[in-house]
Amino acid sequence: MSDDHDHGGVHHHERPASPIELRARALEALLVEKGLVSTDAIDAVIELYENDVGPQNGAKVVARAWVDPAYRERLLADGAAAIAELGCGGAEGSTMVVVPNEPGVHNAVVCTLCSCYPWPVLGLPPSWYKSHPYRARMVSEPRSVLREFGIELPAETTIRIWDSTAEVRYLVLPERPSGTEDWDEEALAAIVTRDAMIGVAVPVAERTLA
Amino acid sequence: MDGVHDMGGMHGFGRVVVEGGDEIFHEDWEARIFALNHVSDVRGLFGGPGGRVVGESMEPAHYLAASYYERWLWGAERRLEAKGTIVPGEVEAMMARLSGTEPPTAADPELAAEAVRGLREGPPAMGIAVSPRFAPSDPVRVRRMHPDGHTRCPRYVRGAVGVVERIQGVDWLPDRAAYGLLTEPEPVYAVAFASQELWGESDEPPWTVLLDLFDTYLEPA
Repeated sequence: MSDDHDHGGVHHHERPASPIELRARALEALLVEKGLVSTDAIDAVIELYENDVGPQNGAKVVARAWVDPAYRERLLADGAAAIAELGCGGAEGSTMVVVPNEPGVHNAVVCTLCSCYPWPVLGLPPSWYKSHPYRARMVSEPRSVLREFGIELPAETTIRIWDSTAEVRYLVLPERPSGTEDWDEEALAAIVTRDAMIGVAVPVAERTLA
Repeated sequence: MDGVHDMGGMHGFGRVVVEGGDEIFHEDWEARIFALNHVSDVRGLFGGPGGRVVGESMEPAHYLAASYYERWLWGAERRLEAKGTIVPGEVEAMMARLSGTEPPTAADPELAAEAVRGLREGPPAMGIAVSPRFAPSDPVRVRRMHPDGHTRCPRYVRGAVGVVERIQGVDWLPDRAAYGLLTEPEPVYAVAFASQELWGESDEPPWTVLLDLFDTYLEPA
């Protein structure tokens, strides 16, 4: 669960197509044949989320908030506007609320009813976020779920679980780890993982070699 | 509607962290169905209620057995049929015709640009609540209800008392808007609930659950 910056997401296997895959291909072919959709439009949408829009965007937002107190203030006051300052925005992110972790306070995000997720800053959600167990358990036994992800929070830590039931989308602003005081924004962004911005991980001060 | 999609608090689904769970798409077709949904929407090919409503209307056993993007595929077919863009049987006929052949391709750079632009721009933000009924720190109770149509009020908070945390803005009540019914935008509040209020005693130390709830769902407590 630590490799959060794999933006490709699609695995290629040499194997016979499943019935559901054949059905999906047929639906696309049907609409293409009718002249209603184009394959290049479908490719362009996929490319957008494979190359441009992903957790690297959220990581930049978090790193900026860590180094710039005025930006942090704007981010907490109006998430979407502050995120737009860094050139990010769009579908599933028009109204954004950024929830800051603080000493003794840990936030995490879920969508129990479907799969609401802040696309402009995190891209599309990983499978586990959309899974039945996460949707079921994150509101009713969060510590047990966090333990599966490898975080054990002190008993006195206040856990705040945000269930995205309307059009607000949430981003967790993790705490800046100690030992990063002299790091620049780029180095900081590199340790901000997708999972930390959902609230199921905490960033650690581990330099990656460029 | 009180369907199996309303999963908060359900038992028996097992572990969250599993092999392959970190992937966004497991197969290429999943990415293509995700994108096909958006492009169909841009082209106005869908009819009937919105995607969430249709997904929730899946027969419960089917919903639970289907993968995430299988549900998207199923929903896309229903919404295309609702508009008359496709008719039942056409997908099966195409499956038979495609057998062993390459699917057709088509280029439409304008449509490609429009599809990407829509995602980059997104819809407008929620409006500002001018005179909300509740203020931060007001206690509120979630109404008891049992709607057979779409709602964004999960079962697990109904009847529970929470505290308004913040006013998020105004939006159209999904219970009506999802069917294209006109409504005045109403306030949406982030409401904080103590875990004991929702779940009773737990092995875990108390925590807080916050949900965005429409004014219609709430009453003074």
